[in-house]
Amino acid sequence: MSAAIGLAAEHVTLVLGDGDQQITALNDVSLQITKGECVAVVGPSGSGKSSLLAVCGGLRAPTKGRIRIGETDLTALKDSQRTGVRRSKIGFVFQQSNLVPSLSALDQLMLIAHVNGSPTKADENRAMKLLDSVGLAARARRRPGQLSGGECQRVGIARALMNRPDVLLVDEPTSMLDHNRGTDIVKLLATQTKEHGVATLMVTHDASMLSWADRVLRMEDGRVLPASSPMATAAQ
Amino acid sequence: MFLALRDLAFAKGRFALMATVILLVAFLMVLLSGLSSGLIERNVSGIKLMKATHIAFELDNIPSYTNSFVDKEMWEAWAKVPGVSAMTPTGITAFNARNSNGTALTVALMGVVPGSFMEPNVLAGATFASDPRGVIISDELIEKGVKVGDVIRLDRVLTELKVIGTAAHANIGHVPIAYAPLPLWQEATYGPPGGPPPGDELPKVLFDYASVIALQVSDPAQLKKADDEIGTVTLSREESFNAAPAYREEVLTVFLIQGFMIFVSAMVVGAFFAVWTIQRTPEIGLVKALGASTGYLMRDALAQALVVLTSAIAVGGVIGYMLGRYIDTTGVSFKLESAAVGLNIGLLLVAGLIGAALSIRRIGSVDPIIALGAER
Repeated sequence: MSAAIGLAAEHVTLVLGDGDQQITALNDVSLQITKGECVAVVGPSGSGKSSLLAVCGGLRAPTKGRIRIGETDLTALKDSQRTGVRRSKIGFVFQQSNLVPSLSALDQLMLIAHVNGSPTKADENRAMKLLDSVGLAARARRRPGQLSGGECQRVGIARALMNRPDVLLVDEPTSMLDHNRGTDIVKLLATQTKEHGVATLMVTHDASMLSWADRVLRMEDGRVLPASSPMATAAQ
Repeated sequence: MFLALRDLAFAKGRFALMATVILLVAFLMVLLSGLSSGLIERNVSGIKLMKATHIAFELDNIPSYTNSFVDKEMWEAWAKVPGVSAMTPTGITAFNARNSNGTALTVALMGVVPGSFMEPNVLAGATFASDPRGVIISDELIEKGVKVGDVIRLDRVLTELKVIGTAAHANIGHVPIAYAPLPLWQEATYGPPGGPPPGDELPKVLFDYASVIALQVSDPAQLKKADDEIGTVTLSREESFNAAPAYREEVLTVFLIQGFMIFVSAMVVGAFFAVWTIQRTPEIGLVKALGASTGYLMRDALAQALVVLTSAIAVGGVIGYMLGRYIDTTGVSFKLESAAVGLNIGLLLVAGLIGAALSIRRIGSVDPIIALGAER
């Protein structure tokens, strides 16, 4: 695996709200994730974990600082261009999988191909291969309502890899799963990160999942704590 | 349409309800269109049958077949206008009348010059050549029990008209036409009740007047100038529908009914797609987070509306058309005109799409951030 930078945040500050209601969600956050590296972010609720995901994924523009996805400076782009970067370079894995209810597992992946243009037979083959790699080839025609929570989350992971992303942004992937299923999902994320050479940023509150990450960052009050903090050290 | 069609299949219950409403509106539109065309046909079928291209009326802001009054000088002047290949004075008066057996009738007596282009095509019986005091009646009067050979007596003026033949269904202002030779019409309209005193003749001057001048125009360039010089106002045959009694009011009524229906259906479609778009807000946010542009989602949603609207309108239209074909055979004034039906259906579709488009706009304001469970 090359050591190319997949995702970089440089001195990112995000202020939400205005006037008296202003909240500093992110305060001078810097981090780098190389391709093939899985980084977990932990911290209490309100510590800025989700804001970090939103900013890295181009869903919010930071107030200050820069985000780079591969070679692209996300913060220099307009809204519509950021959408284009999400489409082609970023894979999202959401809490509760967040699948489109009307689409079969296969179509969840094909939607990504459709959003990126006219899908080909090769796209369908790739989608089937990805579903196979998360163990769901046999359930490709099922809709989210006909799949278990763990299966939905696997579909979500396969979907996130569909557009050959540089970066995988993962939001609380295990929050709706029991421990065993959660472990499976995080293991899967870790192996897919290596296999596809993506830079994975995983937000979680579940400390038991951290052993699968290459690195653990701890957030508090919108800051990333130094690596020497007790919890991060323990995880390493 | 990838997402649109799958959402459609997934939420088929909701879309089926919506489609049913649109289907019923389309069905009603077809029937209403048939009834409107039928109503209008009943008013002006006699004008449609005229072989004139233009009609010259007495100068008036609102020309009217029944109020117009032209004289011999006018029609002789019109005969000389360049571009007018033929002209004939024509009289129209509505009369209450009684058939030989006492049945009360209302007839629009139309005086035409025998042998002119205004003479009707006779379906059964004889032509004017056989009897200068004979009339040729619209088929509708036959349906009301008048027979060839009957004598119709006009109330008050007491002129007797011998029915010698029948012509196609022809009405003006909803009143069935009886075609008479122009002199007979002039006698009935301008002459004294009961005809001339015994031994006397009618004054010649009676025969110098008519209601309108029917024209066959090969080149309309000179019409305006001729109108100014002669003191008439000339309308094309289609424009002259407005000069038929109550035609304007009927068309306005029908137009308003159809307009309101189209407006209401646009609102219904708009309301449905507004609720539908709100319901799928999480999905819209998700797909946007996955990189779909607002344009992509709007095109997708509009295509979905188009599919729902076209299929519902097509089915409703076909059902309406089939029922209409049946009603057509029952004698109710109903007429399916493909142009009118097509126009109404087209407008219904366009209005529905506009309603949907206005609701679908809110896709633009959905923030993809909602795809993240709990920001901050």
